[in-house]
Amino acid sequence: MFDNMIVALKNIRRRQVVIMMWKDKYKIGVELIDTQHKELFNRVSDFIEVLQNKDEWDSKLDKVKETMIFMKEYVVVHFEAEEEYQQQVGYPEFDKHKKVHDDFRNGVNKYAESFEEQGYDREKIQEFAGKLMAWLIMHVAKADQKIGDYVLNKGGQS
Amino acid sequence: MRAEYINSFYKATQDVFKLMLDIDIERDKLEVVEGMVTSRDASVMIGVTGDLRGSILFSFPKDMALKMIKIMADIEMDELDNFVSSALGEMGNIIGGNALTYLSEENYICDIVPPQIILGAHKSFQVGQVKSLLLTMKSPIGEFDLNIFLREPENK
Repeated sequence: MFDNMIVALKNIRRRQVVIMMWKDKYKIGVELIDTQHKELFNRVSDFIEVLQNKDEWDSKLDKVKETMIFMKEYVVVHFEAEEEYQQQVGYPEFDKHKKVHDDFRNGVNKYAESFEEQGYDREKIQEFAGKLMAWLIMHVAKADQKIGDYVLNKGGQS
Repeated sequence: MRAEYINSFYKATQDVFKLMLDIDIERDKLEVVEGMVTSRDASVMIGVTGDLRGSILFSFPKDMALKMIKIMADIEMDELDNFVSSALGEMGNIIGGNALTYLSEENYICDIVPPQIILGAHKSFQVGQVKSLLLTMKSPIGEFDLNIFLREPENK
């Protein structure tokens, strides 16, 4: 019984206080995309949590970089998968949507380059995180919903 | 200043608050004021160019700004740091972008310049010998201001 208590205590310690940006209202009704959006939001949440917690900046810098690399890579993975899906279903606004993705990818890359060249400045990373969060919420809550609406209507017609 | 300009920004603000924060906002007071003044703690200024020229200024109390972040990021914040001000700036940018679509429906082709964040209340901006429109907005998480100063270039 004592061993079980130790395991339970370890598990409690391992659980971090996490923030949760994801809301079910962001679902678009396409499972593949919804799963990826949820994963993307979770990664951004982890990044924001590490960035904004009260720990000393120097002590968490490696963790900040690590979560940022994770998130940055996942943005690319997700955009590519979403674009592929849009093409598969013949989404008529593909070009317009891809342009929005491209602009955003460029914006993320510019920030990443500046961090690599000029160092990981806390205020600059906070600026990046604030923009990223607001942009993602709006993009998923508005532009991506149109993909779901299109698929739903198309399904209804066929 | 015509009603179409004001409505375009008002509607865009309503849409974005509903989509991003799930809250309804409504117009409370409408006043004509001298210049543009940041009456609250955190402000976002958006420049407008094209068929209309001028500025739009959103001004939020600190408490409301932090509640907006709590709704979006699920994180408790106690200060207006760069993360908060950057998120507010991006929201302002998105509202400005959406307002451009409404303005184009009224045949005004405009563009916006990247937002400027101003922290601290009672900073005023000279906009010449002209008056701007101050709309006070009510929301379940607090009151905020939308200051509109726009004019049509004389040669249009």
